Amino acid sequence: MNILTIPLRNMRRKPWRTVLLLFVFALGVMSVVSLDNVSNVVGESLEKKLTAYGANILVAPNVETLEVSYGGFTLGDMNMGERFFSGKETVDAVRSIELTDRLAAVAPKLVTSAVIHGYRVGVIGVDWEEELKIKSYWAVDGHYPKGEQELLAGAIAASRLGLSAGDTVSLGQETYKVAGILQSTGGDDDKVLIADLGALQHTIGATDRIHFVEVSALCAGCPIEDIVTQIQGRLPEMRITALQSVVKQRMYSVSFVKELAMIVSLVILLTASAMVGMTMLSAVNERKKEIGILRSLGYFRRQVFAIFCVEAFLIGVLAGAVGYVAGYGASFRILEVLNVAQDAEIVFNWVRYALVCGAIACLAVTAALIPAWKASKIEPSEALLSL
Amino acid sequence: MLKAENISKTFYGEGTPARALDSVSIAVDEGEFVSIVGRSGSGKTTLLHILSTLQTPDSGELTYGGTDLGRISERELNMMRHHDFAVIFQFHHLLPYLTVLENTLLPFMNTLRPVSSGHVEEAKQCLKRVGLDDKWNRLPSMLSGGEQQRVAIARALVKKARYLFADEPTGSLDKTTGKEILTLLQELNREGLAVVMVTHDHQYAAYADTIVEMEDGAVKSVHTE
Repeated sequence: MNILTIPLRNMRRKPWRTVLLLFVFALGVMSVVSLDNVSNVVGESLEKKLTAYGANILVAPNVETLEVSYGGFTLGDMNMGERFFSGKETVDAVRSIELTDRLAAVAPKLVTSAVIHGYRVGVIGVDWEEELKIKSYWAVDGHYPKGEQELLAGAIAASRLGLSAGDTVSLGQETYKVAGILQSTGGDDDKVLIADLGALQHTIGATDRIHFVEVSALCAGCPIEDIVTQIQGRLPEMRITALQSVVKQRMYSVSFVKELAMIVSLVILLTASAMVGMTMLSAVNERKKEIGILRSLGYFRRQVFAIFCVEAFLIGVLAGAVGYVAGYGASFRILEVLNVAQDAEIVFNWVRYALVCGAIACLAVTAALIPAWKASKIEPSEALLSL
Repeated sequence: MLKAENISKTFYGEGTPARALDSVSIAVDEGEFVSIVGRSGSGKTTLLHILSTLQTPDSGELTYGGTDLGRISERELNMMRHHDFAVIFQFHHLLPYLTVLENTLLPFMNTLRPVSSGHVEEAKQCLKRVGLDDKWNRLPSMLSGGEQQRVAIARALVKKARYLFADEPTGSLDKTTGKEILTLLQELNREGLAVVMVTHDHQYAAYADTIVEMEDGAVKSVHTE
C-alpha cells in the first residue's frame, strides 16, 4: 500500500470507463503505429519502384563541342578533348562517397558502332548486373545475356537487321550470339545492340575504357545535391549532372506518403490526448470529495497532483503497450490489402516498443497536467462543502 | 491548547454577503470534549472548519500550542493537519474503492514508500478498538452507516491525532447507532483525545464536558460540567 494504490484502485472502480479510455487511446496508438509502419514500407516500396524507373545522375567527361562549318557547308559538331575514361577508377570513386548507401546502382557504359548486314548500328557496352537494377522495366523475348559473348538487340535494331533470339552477329573480329530481343521501350535502347562491357572493350581494343556512367540514387532522405557534390569531390575533372526533375519527383512521392502519415498520426494523437484530458477533468469534478478527504488528512497539493498524473501515466503506458502490439499486427493486414505485403520488412523492435510506451505515457501525463493542477488547487473545505 | 480569538467569516455568494461568524472566541484544551450546538445557519460548522484548519478566517487569530496558524506556511499547516488533527463528517467520507483497512491507513499512503507493517498492525488494532476487527478487508459499500463512521474514527485514531473534529457524526445514523458512536467518542476522549463535535441535537451534545451554543454567527452561551 502506497500512494500508487489510490489511482490503481480508482481505475479498477470504474472498469468500463477505464477500458473505454484505454480502448480509445490504444486505438489512437494503434493507428499511429500501423500508419508509421505502412508509410515506411510503402515509402521503401515506392523508392524501389521509382529507382527501377531509371538513373538520376550522369557522370561524363568534360568535353567541349566545336561546331564545324566552312563556306556555308556544315560538317556537324566536333568533340574536343578526351572522351574515354577509366571505368574501374570512376566506378570505385563514385562508390567511395560518404552517401554510398544511398546509391542503388552505378552503371558504366561504352558507346560504339558497328556495321551489320550493311547497316550501321550503335552498340552499347554495359555492366549487366548494374544495368538491370536501373532498367528493371525491360522485358525480352528470349533471355538476358548469360555469357560475355551474348548480347541483346533493341526492338527497332532487331527489326532492321532481321535478328531474332539465337542468331549470331559479328562485331569486329568477334562473334556474338543474340540472347534476346528487347521489347519496345520507346527510348534509345530500341535502336541499339547491348553487349557486355568487358567483352565490348576487348572487341574494340579499349580495355577499361568507358564513355559515361549512369548513377541511380535513392533520395527520399537526402538532397541529391549532396550526392552530386560528393561525387564531384571524388571526380573533379568530370561533369556530374543531376537530372533534377526526376529526383525531385521521386523525393516528393516518397516524402508525401510519409508526411501525410505523420500529419494524420499527429491529429489522431492530439484527439486521443484531448479525450484523456477531458476525462481527467471530469474525474476531478467527480472526485472533489475524495480530494477534500485527502487534503483534510494532510496530503500536500503535489501529492494530489501526483495521484492524477500517475493515473494518466498508467493509462498511457497500458494504451501504448496494447496499441503498439495491435498496430504491429494491423500493419500486416493493411499491407496485404494494399497489396504491398511482399515488400514488408516490419520487425518487432523491443526498444521502439518501450520508447512508444514511454512517449505515450508522457503524452497522457501532459494531457492530464491541467486537470491534475486543478485538483491540487482545490481547498479541502471547498471540496467537502460542495457536497 | 487550540484557541480562536475574535474569528469572523463572511461568505460572498450570488446574493448579499452572509456573515457566518462574528468575532467568535473559543478555546479547546487537550483532552477536552466540546460540543458546538445551534440551529442550521448558526455558524457552528464554519467554526469547526476554521478550528480544524480546513478553512481560513477573514479576521481574528487561531493559535495552536501558542503558534499563530495564520502565520505559518502551507507546508507547516499541512504537517500539523497530518499529525495532530483528524476530521470526521456526517457522511463518513471514505474512499469507496479502498478497503476498510486501506481507508484507515490513508494518512500513511501519501508517498511511494509502502506503509510499514507496524502501521498496518496499528490500523488493525484501531479497527478492533472500534469493533470492526473482522471487516478490515471489506469495501465501504458493504458496511452500514455506523460502521463507516467507525472506520473514519479508526482513521483518526491510527494517526494518533490529538484533536478530533466531528461534524454531525451522528447526523445520518439511527438513534441506537448514534449513541454507540457518541459512547465511543466519549471513551476515546477519556483516553486523552480532544473532541470538538458539532451537533444540532442537545441530547448528543450532553456527552461533552463543555457545550458551546451558537446563534447567528456568535457564541450565545457556554456551559461547562
